[in-house]
Amino acid sequence: MKPTRREFGASALVGLAAKADRKISGGFVYESQERGHRLRDKARFASPTERVKIPVVIVGGGVAGLSAAWRLQKRGFHDFVILEMEDAAGGNARSGENNVSAYPWAAHYLPVPDVKEVLVRELCQELGLLLPDGTWNERWLCHSPQERLFLHGRWQEGIEPSIGLTKNDVAQYRQFEEHIAEWHASGAFRIPMDYGLDQAAAKARALDQITMGEWMRREGLYSPYLKWFIDYSTRDDYGTHMEDISAWAGLHYFAARAPEDKGPLTWPDGNGWIVKRLLAKLAPFVRTQSMVYRIQQQRKTWQIVTEKALYDADFVVFAAPTHFASWLVDPAPPRWPIDSAPWLTANLTLDRWPANHGVEYAWDNVIYNSPSLGYVVATHQNVAMHQDRTVWTYYWALADGSPTDQRRILLGGDWAWWKEKILTDLQRAHPDIRQCVSHIDIFRIGHAMPRPVPGAIFHPERLRRARPQGSLVYANCDLSALSLFEEAQSRGVSAADYVLRNISSTGTR
Amino acid sequence: MAVVLFLSVFLIAACGLIYELIAGTLASYLLGDSVLQFSTVIGSYLFAMGIGSWLSRFLDKALVARFITIELMVGLLGGFSSTILFLAFTYTHAFQFLLYGMVIAIGILVGLEIPLLMRILRERFNFKELVANVLTFDYLGALGASLLFPLILVPKLGLVRSAILFGLINAGVALWSTFLFKAHLPSPMVQRAAAIAVVLILCGGLATADYITDTADAALYSDEVIFAKTTPYQRMVVTKWKQDYRLYLNSHLQFSSRDEYRYHESLVHPGLASVAGARHALVLGGGDGLAVREMLKYPGLQTITMVDLDPEMTRQFSTHPLLVELNSGSLKTSKLKIINADAFPWLEKDNSMFDFVVVDFPDPNNYSLGKLYTTAFYRLLRHHVAQNGVVVVQSTSPMFARQSFWCINETMKQAGFKTYPFHVYVPSFGEWGYVLGAQVDWKPPTSLPAGLKFLTPANVASLFEFPPDLAPVAVEANRLNDQTLVRYYEHEWREIVR
Repeated sequence: MKPTRREFGASALVGLAAKADRKISGGFVYESQERGHRLRDKARFASPTERVKIPVVIVGGGVAGLSAAWRLQKRGFHDFVILEMEDAAGGNARSGENNVSAYPWAAHYLPVPDVKEVLVRELCQELGLLLPDGTWNERWLCHSPQERLFLHGRWQEGIEPSIGLTKNDVAQYRQFEEHIAEWHASGAFRIPMDYGLDQAAAKARALDQITMGEWMRREGLYSPYLKWFIDYSTRDDYGTHMEDISAWAGLHYFAARAPEDKGPLTWPDGNGWIVKRLLAKLAPFVRTQSMVYRIQQQRKTWQIVTEKALYDADFVVFAAPTHFASWLVDPAPPRWPIDSAPWLTANLTLDRWPANHGVEYAWDNVIYNSPSLGYVVATHQNVAMHQDRTVWTYYWALADGSPTDQRRILLGGDWAWWKEKILTDLQRAHPDIRQCVSHIDIFRIGHAMPRPVPGAIFHPERLRRARPQGSLVYANCDLSALSLFEEAQSRGVSAADYVLRNISSTGTR
Repeated sequence: MAVVLFLSVFLIAACGLIYELIAGTLASYLLGDSVLQFSTVIGSYLFAMGIGSWLSRFLDKALVARFITIELMVGLLGGFSSTILFLAFTYTHAFQFLLYGMVIAIGILVGLEIPLLMRILRERFNFKELVANVLTFDYLGALGASLLFPLILVPKLGLVRSAILFGLINAGVALWSTFLFKAHLPSPMVQRAAAIAVVLILCGGLATADYITDTADAALYSDEVIFAKTTPYQRMVVTKWKQDYRLYLNSHLQFSSRDEYRYHESLVHPGLASVAGARHALVLGGGDGLAVREMLKYPGLQTITMVDLDPEMTRQFSTHPLLVELNSGSLKTSKLKIINADAFPWLEKDNSMFDFVVVDFPDPNNYSLGKLYTTAFYRLLRHHVAQNGVVVVQSTSPMFARQSFWCINETMKQAGFKTYPFHVYVPSFGEWGYVLGAQVDWKPPTSLPAGLKFLTPANVASLFEFPPDLAPVAVEANRLNDQTLVRYYEHEWREIVR
């Protein structure tokens, strides 16, 4: 859009001052690292003042915990609570809102499921996303244009690089796509992933022994554009570089899906939209600000302890990140073998759009060779033709080097330092970004998602813990080593089904 | 005597302000950016008046004769100021130079008037009374002029004749002064003759004013901008060529006053005339009021709701004399409710029902506009249309953008409308297309309002026939998540431009 006369006049008047940075407000949000680390360090916690007897306790109110509750409730079982450490449930699907727009804090879309994804489809039907006539609700399918990439100084449509590719690069893309089609047909990669594992031949198993980078080299795929694209994808979905990630996980990303419609499904508040609708039914079961600090096995029951209450339960659905179990559960289970990736997300409020030429603003806007993952326009799903203000959700997976070092960097930088990093990154594609942004809130997530490095998928401890047994069942999506809504939902529902099966047979009710 | 003298003050003050307003208005019309033009014109004019007041100290002798000369000069220069400026804009590149030259020259002369007059009158009144009265009438004159100018002069007389009329007043004051101050003039007949000559010249100007403007116009406005405004939403430009006014939004032609009746009659009548007892109509877009003008030919219509994004657009088409003339003041009707809002979210929130809907958006040349042509949009729209109601969508050219046209048709169909595409030849646009959407089976109307220039009950059905070169082509519907239309459109118009 051309500047209005007033803007033009104003820029002429303040021409000399234009370079000076405008004041940007903001800060960190949801700083819960301290609380988490107190658990790790076995700090002292206040004793509960209340004692509650309840058959089932769900620990963790993210998508996994909420999905377990969704299942229990739909099966007519209501004797449970969800214990959530934060002020609000939602986990990685939490969202925020200001006077410009709602926006996600982490997970922000749901791929359109294929016909085999029964659970996701059931939920989508309930939420009016999958319509009775079998079509998908256009309103919440990602509007055109979906993606664009800033490459060689200009924006192109789509995030697969298309500017400056040699014939060889194009041929390598085709070759890669052929591999993917082959793997897709093999059925080894499915959503939820467990369905594919059963049919995984030795060939698929072997993929978990090497990195995605190694797999690329073995297949002779060395086009720098293709490598960037693959690396971008593994950072985007797993917070991990392709040189660090299991080839099995890398290929799962590309080969598992066969969406029925052009998607994904997305909302201004990201997956917070789904959470809000789940909570509309489940809120009475949720106990927020209830950090569990001990889960102790009794003779036949479990004691789940928070600073507010002690719960006596027959079954525990452990839907919090699985690595917490080693600090909370007594007797402690073996150390959880899968590490997690640190992330930073930021929501930037812009009171005007940076000047844009050529390809229009898309939903997902990616900068080639940037350390970040680019930004998603939170107002993209707004149907208004004219929007003068917007919110961008900016994603950065800290994937370089060891996660421990990266977490130190994540927590070491203060807000001003991270603000500067973010603006410097965006400035490459938007030279006038500093004049447009009025507010930046930053969310530092030390353990954002599992890192499926080689060996993680077929790790015996992962396989053991993923299979419900006993009266404490795990449900977090990290059991799949893949941070996906569908995995979280499926783990939660499986845990719920297991509990429903056993709770009646043991006759504890 | 005193009253007559102060009346002169009143008149010359009015003249002075009128010239200033004329210069400012002309500059805004011709150059756009009215704030800038008015500010600089007023600034230089007041500054020049200051120069004139200062220069008055160097005039010592024959004050009355000098005053008369100055009045005649102001009359000539001011009277022909708009003529000169129009011609300069048309035939030279020195418009701005001449504009400020004239403003400064007239300003200096006007600045001389009051100090000289006060010195002439000094002997007749005491100083306190003189200052009070002169300044009072000076300001009264300014008030009179500033009210007269926008309300009567510009709409009734136009800029050229208004200027000459006020030139005549200056010359009249000069002539009259030769009688009033006879005693102070050595040879009043000389001044009187000069004054009469100036009056005659100005009268000649008045007689030929139409001819002068026409000549200037013809050359000047061959697609020259007469109105331009940048709003937060778009750039509006109105051009004039002879009697052809054209509106451009973001450089895309919206209508030409010569043939827009073809476009707007077709947009409204085939649909609206077919809905028996239509009472509530909706216009999405269409802030120019031309579709509303056609709708007002149906006395049975009780309300018209217009949803147009840009308040400046509806404001200009409700108030600007030229634009109001084009829509016959349709935006001022009491039946009309104007809502300045984004159409899609407005439809999501509102739950009124309509018997007839006109969808008159700009062509889908980007994804933001393309949303307004999607299955999602038309589905939403269908919820606002009565069972026997009808929707008409402007659908770009089936000739230049055949796939785009049929894509809109297909999209409306998939959204559940029974569609009846039709087309019209609009010379300034070329072959133009519309899609009529109905909830039930539909037939073209057999009677139309009286006084239409293009449509007749006999020819209306023929609009729905498509010759082979405009016949349907296979296309994908336009959906929010897959905007095929924007791609068809971009591709097709790129072909034409090349």
